[in-house]
Amino acid sequence: MSASDRPLLDVEGLTISYRVGKCWIPAVRDFRLQLGAGEIIGLVGESGCGKSTVALALMHYLASNGRVESGGKLHFAGEDLLAKSNADMRRLWAKRIKFVPQNASAALNPSIKIGKQVMEVLKASDGIEGKAGYDAMIEMFHHVNLVDPERVAERYPHELSGGMQQRVTIAMALISNPELLIMDEPTTGLDVTTEAVILELVRDLIAQRDTGVIYITHNLGVVAQLCQRVLVLYAGEIMEEAEVHDLFEQPHHPYTLGLIRSVPKPGESKHDLRLQSISGNPPSLTRLPGGCVFAERCPLVVDICRSDKPPLESLPGERLVRCHRWEDVTPTLNPSRHLYGGHPIKREGLHPNNTPLPSLRGKGPGDGGPATLMHVTDLQKHFPVAPTVREALRRIKPTPIRAVDGVDLQLRAGQTLGLVGESGSGKTTLARVIIGLQERSGGTLELLGMDVRNSVRERSEDVLSKLQMVFQNPQNSLNPYLSVWQAIVRPLIKLRGLTPAEAEAETLRLLERVNLRAEYAERYPDELSGGEKQRVAIARAFASEPDLIICDEPVSALDVSVQAAVLNLLAQLQEEHDSAYLFISHNLSVVGYLADTIAVMYLGQLFEVGEARELFQPPYHPYTEALVSAIPVADPKQSTERILLSDNLPSAQNLPSGCRFHTRCPRKIGEICETDAPPWREGEAGHLIRCHIPLEELEDSQAGLVLAGGSEGAT
Amino acid sequence: MPSSQISRSLVNLIGTLLRQPQSAVGTILVIFFFLLALFGAQLAPYPNPNDQSHDVRQSPTLDLAKLQLGEHPFGTDRLGRDVYSRVILGASSIFRIAGLGTLVSVVLGSALGLFMGYQGGWVDEILGRVIDATLAIPALLLALVLVGIIRNLEFEAGSWQAGLADNVVLLVIAVLYIPIVARVARSTTLDIKTREFVAAAEIRGESQAYIIFCEILPSVIPSLVVEASLRFSYAIFLVASLGFLGFGARPPSPDWGLMVNENRGGFYQLTPWALEFPALAIALLVIAVNLMSDGIRRAVQKGE
Amino acid sequence: MIHFLRRRFLFFFFTYLISSLAIFFLLRVLPGDPARVIAGGREATEEQVAEIREKLGLNAALPEQYLTWLGDFIGGDWGETIAFRGADNRDLILERARNSARLALVALLLSVPVSLVLGVIAGLSENKLPDVIISLLTLSVVSLPEFVTGLFLINIVALRWGRGALAESLGWWFPASSAVPATASFGEMLPALWLPAFAATLVMLAYISRLTRAGVIEELKRDYVRTAALKGIAWRTVVWRHVLRNALLPTITVIAISISWLVSGMVVIEFVFGFPGLGSLLIAAIERRDLLLVQAIVMVTVTIILFSNLFADMAYALLNPRVELS
Repeated sequence: MSASDRPLLDVEGLTISYRVGKCWIPAVRDFRLQLGAGEIIGLVGESGCGKSTVALALMHYLASNGRVESGGKLHFAGEDLLAKSNADMRRLWAKRIKFVPQNASAALNPSIKIGKQVMEVLKASDGIEGKAGYDAMIEMFHHVNLVDPERVAERYPHELSGGMQQRVTIAMALISNPELLIMDEPTTGLDVTTEAVILELVRDLIAQRDTGVIYITHNLGVVAQLCQRVLVLYAGEIMEEAEVHDLFEQPHHPYTLGLIRSVPKPGESKHDLRLQSISGNPPSLTRLPGGCVFAERCPLVVDICRSDKPPLESLPGERLVRCHRWEDVTPTLNPSRHLYGGHPIKREGLHPNNTPLPSLRGKGPGDGGPATLMHVTDLQKHFPVAPTVREALRRIKPTPIRAVDGVDLQLRAGQTLGLVGESGSGKTTLARVIIGLQERSGGTLELLGMDVRNSVRERSEDVLSKLQMVFQNPQNSLNPYLSVWQAIVRPLIKLRGLTPAEAEAETLRLLERVNLRAEYAERYPDELSGGEKQRVAIARAFASEPDLIICDEPVSALDVSVQAAVLNLLAQLQEEHDSAYLFISHNLSVVGYLADTIAVMYLGQLFEVGEARELFQPPYHPYTEALVSAIPVADPKQSTERILLSDNLPSAQNLPSGCRFHTRCPRKIGEICETDAPPWREGEAGHLIRCHIPLEELEDSQAGLVLAGGSEGAT
Repeated sequence: MPSSQISRSLVNLIGTLLRQPQSAVGTILVIFFFLLALFGAQLAPYPNPNDQSHDVRQSPTLDLAKLQLGEHPFGTDRLGRDVYSRVILGASSIFRIAGLGTLVSVVLGSALGLFMGYQGGWVDEILGRVIDATLAIPALLLALVLVGIIRNLEFEAGSWQAGLADNVVLLVIAVLYIPIVARVARSTTLDIKTREFVAAAEIRGESQAYIIFCEILPSVIPSLVVEASLRFSYAIFLVASLGFLGFGARPPSPDWGLMVNENRGGFYQLTPWALEFPALAIALLVIAVNLMSDGIRRAVQKGE
Repeated sequence: MIHFLRRRFLFFFFTYLISSLAIFFLLRVLPGDPARVIAGGREATEEQVAEIREKLGLNAALPEQYLTWLGDFIGGDWGETIAFRGADNRDLILERARNSARLALVALLLSVPVSLVLGVIAGLSENKLPDVIISLLTLSVVSLPEFVTGLFLINIVALRWGRGALAESLGWWFPASSAVPATASFGEMLPALWLPAFAATLVMLAYISRLTRAGVIEELKRDYVRTAALKGIAWRTVVWRHVLRNALLPTITVIAISISWLVSGMVVIEFVFGFPGLGSLLIAAIERRDLLLVQAIVMVTVTIILFSNLFADMAYALLNPRVELS
């Protein structure tokens, strides 16, 4: 933004309150922002920091229980929005200010055809109707890369995929050529591959216009890849604002630093370092501290932070920071000093390179490495489908949904096997089959040399206690009517046969192991934060002293600052108990951090298995390549050429012939991909790729995409 | 046992009920009627409902302006019975039949629903269809037919007790509402069953009974409480309607519905009060229970 | 959608089977001899009982009896009444059902539009004054038992107010008794329909308007409402074009369900007003222990309810693009 221009959006001293009962709670305080035309500003913050509130307040569209306190300034193109009537605002919303919501499937009216909903926008903005409107809509659909726009216009929202729905909402926002676009987490809930496609689209579309964009997200990677300036929001206040390169290179606020450092970068591994994590939880909005809102969690906190609220200071280089001690943050950037306790691990012995890699074909135990713990061969899970009328009449048995279709896996004691793939790849089903919550349709499952029964109800207590699970959603993984103590003590008595007195002592010990104070034992889940709930769930899983814990996306529902602490905890407990993990995640960086071996799953089958480090270096399976390139890396300097996949995942009932990936594969070589199932090809150190293309060829063409460079934290 | 958390939510529920004016009025009125039902015999001036010792057709002596009850606050009916006493005495039968009927249906219905929901499979499929099918028959119709038949059977068995008619209504209410409660319990169970804490219990190898009663039941209780309060209000409606149609209590029982029926038509011109006061009692009780159950529903939904 | 309709049809037949079984066996399996009940209880002679047993085919095995009975019912042979001096059950029931249908029609025409409007108003003004008033009304006055409102209408509206200056016209329009001849035409019957229909309306009003209100409130919270409002179109349009379309869809089902509700209510209302409909016939039949008539009436009622549910499901499936998913 050049200084001579009048900013498109000029916000100063904005305080937004919500009514709770009879009180007005100031959810966002003293917000400011200046956005120029054509500029993309990122607004980052964790859940509950008030970023969606800001989004709606900037639209001047607050729910009836919300209000903007007087004294603030909200100017759009020189006009005072706060003074505008509803009718005036409607004219602005129709044409000049647009909003892209988070959850596209909910944001579209389910009972009106897509075309009609988009045309409604055109009519409101420019009064265009009929043929002219239809043509303009189809053209816009082409711009957002919707395949077959005429048919999309005739569809209802539920007939489109999540990525397509989000394209429609983006088309709806851009079709009136707005001056200001507010995007509220438009890619949250989408797969990385789809996210990459949408981000690319947003970037291109904005570059062609003069639209100013406020992009709201919790994902630092997205900000680094997309935005020019960044505002960091915490507990309703701006902590820091800077140009994107400055922010990532030299964060001035301890919170920003913590956020950046707590995300594992691709290639970082638990063997090299512990992640830096921010302790504690954000303050409750009803009981805000008098001083700095971050003081309770800040590693640099001094007395003044608790007593005096720091002002939002202007610094050279168009930066703003709200911290008494920002000058002390910079020196800590030296990698040898670790503000948040993360530290490199220097040890000899158990380095991943020294342990033999488990291979699919399973050389037996006794070849020097840890014993094989679990051995899965040709595992299948097919869900039957009810026949349609025609099928029933012709006595055709409908094709089942093949969620897991022939998976071989091997896992050694004390090791982590990471399992990655998009949603719909079958990874959660695989986990549920292994744990016994669902019965397998075929294949064998061996645990510690014992052939394990199909369903959890048939398994012996011995097997049950050796196999435990940590679930994705901390909200649901603890029974709301049982206290922490009751949740942990039950497996101790049931599976370990402890007496009540022993179990009580053991419960306290377990709580300590997961870094929770003893007083947590008496609490109920609704008194715990998400991260604390997940710690309790981990303690419960470890209670029976299992050999294998299945972790199904254990951190994906947590905020980044909490995520790092849970990952560290998992790594630490693994070291102490020598337990093995089957770690499932859609997030490659997270899997890369915790896993020794990674398996990539697509439509019920594995396509690549290899050592974690190998996986971030060529050769890749073309699908892995797309996944890796799609990771939004939290470093604006690191920008890779993205490989964009169509967001059109085939259904597991109607699987593609030959190589299942051929319908989306950017490296498809020809007919053979459609007719023949690809062979497993073995590379260095047991690295396995299932593709028709020879590994050397893959490696040559993929040389550019190396993400596992030496991680800075480890040097 | 998760009882402490449940009792905590119960205390919260009562607090929420009393904070809102509408539900507070309803709750207090229901408690008032409940006390009448418990201590009616002590409170009524003439505890014998068939005490015909008074002058017939006396006008009500109730004076609201002076807050005086007088000799016969609600007057006397054409047989010389004190209407005030009969209205007070009538509270107990309606509470007993509707309350116990609801209780039985909630206990058995929720057990059935929990079992169906957790078990799933063909048992659930068949029972679920049967339940849906029984729901297609209107409750009052079914009640009329059942009561009508069972009362005729008494004719033959000869040994059936005089108070049996009341129990017939109670049983009919229980039978009618079991499928309805079961359906609610089942759908909530289906929802709770997918929560991961249930999977965690299965992974521990817990027994079915443990999972149903210790893990799932506490989370189903809120919706059961809502359903129970709703059932109770319908049960009162039904008992009153059956009494009015002559299929409930038999004369000379001081059943409110029956009293309304006995004093309508030509008798209404003579002793309007003998119809109006029991009708008013029914109306007040139904309104009160509705206000309370609406309050419970709001409170529980808010809690979620 | 075909899958959905197929399920609904299967369910329709299954339900029909279950309810017919229930109706048949409830009257047979319970202890006691139906023939004796019909013959008049304990005073009946053995010959009378045996004669009735023979006539009704009660000597056959139960499953056979059931099949014969169901076959006869579907074939249109519903037997002869005992209570109404040997009239044909079918003629009697159809005549009374026609009268009840007239009453139901007037009640539905009165209640559905009013309750939809009330429900929408309440839903749009959640927790504000109009909503509080409508909610209180529907919760209290309107949800009273039908016989209380019915008696109120008869005694206060028709008898007391009807005695004043407007007595002439009011007395004709709102007669206190609806005991018209069962064979009267619709026009002749109309005056007698107003008060009972109004009593039925009040009950339905509470039911439909509260469900409509809940539907509107639920839809208003959805994200697409914000999307529509931020298109810059007037709030009125947002409500009409976006909210009501989704909020009123389920009310089709609600109205179908409320027909079952209406049937219950009409039994009481017809009894209170002395209206010659199916409900008052049922009560008479039960009182006179005419089991065959009772069975036939309940079967007819269930048939009506099941058909209205089926039609509602089909209408819902046609109007809702999302049904394919379920």
